[in-house]
Amino acid sequence: MAAAITGVGAYAPRFRISSEAFEEAWGQFHAAGVTEKAVPSADEDALTMAYEAATRALEAAATDPDDIDWLAVASSRPPAAEEDLTVRLGAMLSLSESATGQLFSGSTRSGTRALWAGMDALEADTTTALVVAADAPRGDPDDGMDHAAGAGSAAFVLERDGPAEITDRAEYSAPYPGTRFRNSGEDETQGLGITQYDRQAFTETIGGAVDGLEVKPEAEAAAIQAPDGKLPYRAAGAAGVSTDVIQAAATVHELGDLGAASVPLSLARALEDGYESVLAVSHGSGAGADAFTVEAEGDVPAVTALEGDDPLTYAEYLRQRGIVTTGPPSGGGAYVSIPSWRRSLPQRYRLEAGRCSECGALSFPPEGSCDDCGALAEYEPVELAGEGTIEAVTTISQGGAPPEFAEQQARSGDYAAAIVALETDSGDETVSAPAMGTDADPADFSVGDRIETTIRRIYTQEGVTRYGFKIRPASE
Amino acid sequence: MEYDWPAGSRSGRTFVIIDRHKAYSYFTPDDRRTSMRDAYLVGAGQSDYGAFPSESYRSLFRTAFDAATDSVPKELEADDVDEAFVGNLGVGGRQLGLSGPAVTEHVGLDGVPCTRVENACAASGFAVRQAVQAVKSGMADVVLAGGFEIMSDMSSDATKYWLGVSGETEWERLSGTTFSGVYAQMASVHMEQYGTTREQLSRVAVKNHSNGAKNPHAQLGFECSLEDAQSAPVVADPLNLYHCCPTSDGAACALIVSEDVVDEYTDDPIRVAGVGAGSDTVGLFQRDTYTGVPASQRAAESAYEMADVEPDELDFAEVHDCFAIAELLAYEDLGFCEKGEAGQLIESGATELSGELPVNTSGGLKSKGHPIGATGAGQVVEAYKQLSGAAGERQVENPTRGLTHNVGGSGGASVIHIFEKEREVSA
Repeated sequence: MAAAITGVGAYAPRFRISSEAFEEAWGQFHAAGVTEKAVPSADEDALTMAYEAATRALEAAATDPDDIDWLAVASSRPPAAEEDLTVRLGAMLSLSESATGQLFSGSTRSGTRALWAGMDALEADTTTALVVAADAPRGDPDDGMDHAAGAGSAAFVLERDGPAEITDRAEYSAPYPGTRFRNSGEDETQGLGITQYDRQAFTETIGGAVDGLEVKPEAEAAAIQAPDGKLPYRAAGAAGVSTDVIQAAATVHELGDLGAASVPLSLARALEDGYESVLAVSHGSGAGADAFTVEAEGDVPAVTALEGDDPLTYAEYLRQRGIVTTGPPSGGGAYVSIPSWRRSLPQRYRLEAGRCSECGALSFPPEGSCDDCGALAEYEPVELAGEGTIEAVTTISQGGAPPEFAEQQARSGDYAAAIVALETDSGDETVSAPAMGTDADPADFSVGDRIETTIRRIYTQEGVTRYGFKIRPASE
Repeated sequence: MEYDWPAGSRSGRTFVIIDRHKAYSYFTPDDRRTSMRDAYLVGAGQSDYGAFPSESYRSLFRTAFDAATDSVPKELEADDVDEAFVGNLGVGGRQLGLSGPAVTEHVGLDGVPCTRVENACAASGFAVRQAVQAVKSGMADVVLAGGFEIMSDMSSDATKYWLGVSGETEWERLSGTTFSGVYAQMASVHMEQYGTTREQLSRVAVKNHSNGAKNPHAQLGFECSLEDAQSAPVVADPLNLYHCCPTSDGAACALIVSEDVVDEYTDDPIRVAGVGAGSDTVGLFQRDTYTGVPASQRAAESAYEMADVEPDELDFAEVHDCFAIAELLAYEDLGFCEKGEAGQLIESGATELSGELPVNTSGGLKSKGHPIGATGAGQVVEAYKQLSGAAGERQVENPTRGLTHNVGGSGGASVIHIFEKEREVSA
């Protein structure tokens, strides 16, 4: 087998809710072993979290997006049940149009299925693969599934050689219907909650996959599927590792159930923490499991953003997740058609400005006459660096938002809206663009502040979610 | 790049001096006056502004038309009207075509050429400009310039959907702003650069409500204290509810005639002395400045030059105060003070009714109301009332010359008119 991880990226949203907040609301908390969990913001979903992890993995591996020839995205909850997520992510990441894209879904095991397929691709003619898993499970509010549900993403750049070699893999499946499922057209994942049956499905498949490995692993850290904070430890015996080894890579206690991103994110953390021998075993209902052994030599390049320090009350949690809001109002003015939206994707996703062939000044968006000299000239595309300075800013309160944003505002409250001077790579030139603030309190955006861009949900109209860049305070 | 006003100082206040000898691209001011006919304002009237569930856009327009014709000192019949220009953005958001003829036909102007003018909030300011052009060109002798809007007959969400249509919709609006947000962004920079304060912004509301309380047509015709104005709920920081104009139903009409027929309608003519207009990018982010409205600066330059007057020769002004910051920006763009000093100007009281240059004696958009398509013509109604001594409790003492300033969107279009009483000026 010739597959190695050459870059690791990981991300979790900034919001956290504690088990105490659930206990206060419900009188009890149904997700054993979870002390707090990550909550996606109203403008986040599996696609935006995939983008957050993928950009970090590419940065860690110092890989030119153009060199990626194979992309996989895995999520048990892609934002659309039908429509290829990999195409949008590829465009956001500036991947080549000829890169292969594969979507893995339908199971919490899909993250490791994507990793498995990435290895196969490298065995064939792929040279550089990008595997991304992003998830935010969701259940009925009074169900343990929802109490455990967290959010996060992990991404790996895979090449034939590298500092973290995937040395072995095995899979196992056995029919166990009803442990965790979501029927077509349903939004909440559920399970029948047959405790011993569920545990048997979990441990049998994990044990079966690990038994399939050719060499018994001497793992220092084990990334085991974590639907809650207790179940992975029950599989310690089946996986042939101690509970300490599972704890070494655990993310469930602080981030919650990460679904298809559970094992990838634990693997990312183990590699970032410098463990040299890692066992990774997923489990997906149905049921099945994948097991991998990863042997690392020296530092594995990793860029992660897993800290979150914005606590939510349970009421804020319900709002942020859209459980107690009614959706956007109907209406139609200021309509931006999908074809016109599509034409702006190079700007929305990649900050593509244009350099005027007459005077050399930058225009954004690069269309019509030059903002500077007024010439009706051609524009040479210039990708901006995603950093800049706030020129003008306001905090939009209720009543000040366009109705397209009423639902988002109901969920996440007031937001900042700014005009920012975005910089070129060299930082020598800027061009102005309007952008919404995200990932921070609106009061954290002031004239003169440094910002960076990311990609988030802008709004959903006629059922189609439009994604584009937003700004957040600069990380450094 | 800021527009560079040539500035001078007199009587303790600083005013812009326009260079009278500067060559105009086509005509010198004198050439313009001799080469084209003069246009005169002989009547203007409006409906009440407010929310009127029992009125239609046509019935409101009729009220304004009747008030305008009634205000003409001698008689003006519907049959006299040669042409009509009507400003309108959207009839309650309904995308009606031919909404211009729909209202002129309703008031008996059957057959009269009618053009609907759409320049967002500056629609009827531009309708007035079209009327002046029609008269000056010789194509018409009597022209109706009006505007109307119905904004209150739909849900507030639906209203917001169509209000945003006058902004830059693909980038600016999708960063989460409507006009309150865009003007708030301008305010943020003005505050940062020039030290303008929230209190100064609130003083605009206090002043305009004080004037509007004296205007029977005003939608929000009540006084408000500085404390009330400062403690209102935030809409788009730093702008609170009292920094924002209301949405309104209403209509307004003005009657513009040529020098050849003016004597048939009045013995006390009010001349359209200056006209200026400008346009700009629809989105704020594509402009070189966020602390001024270049389209207004351009419009002011042309209007002052054509009228051959300076800002300190004005006796009153109706400026486009859709948001409090917009009035302060207008002070600077129109040369009432130096760049950055608008906050001090409002604080000095100079723009109050009793001040040196009363601004928005009608109550402005803030108190009188802002029925988008009617607003520009409604400003001309106030100018007519002031210059004909019919402004009641808010009458400026014996005014000779007044200015109206009407802005579309956040400054994508701007139009300015200067009106002056003929007899005093020609003396």
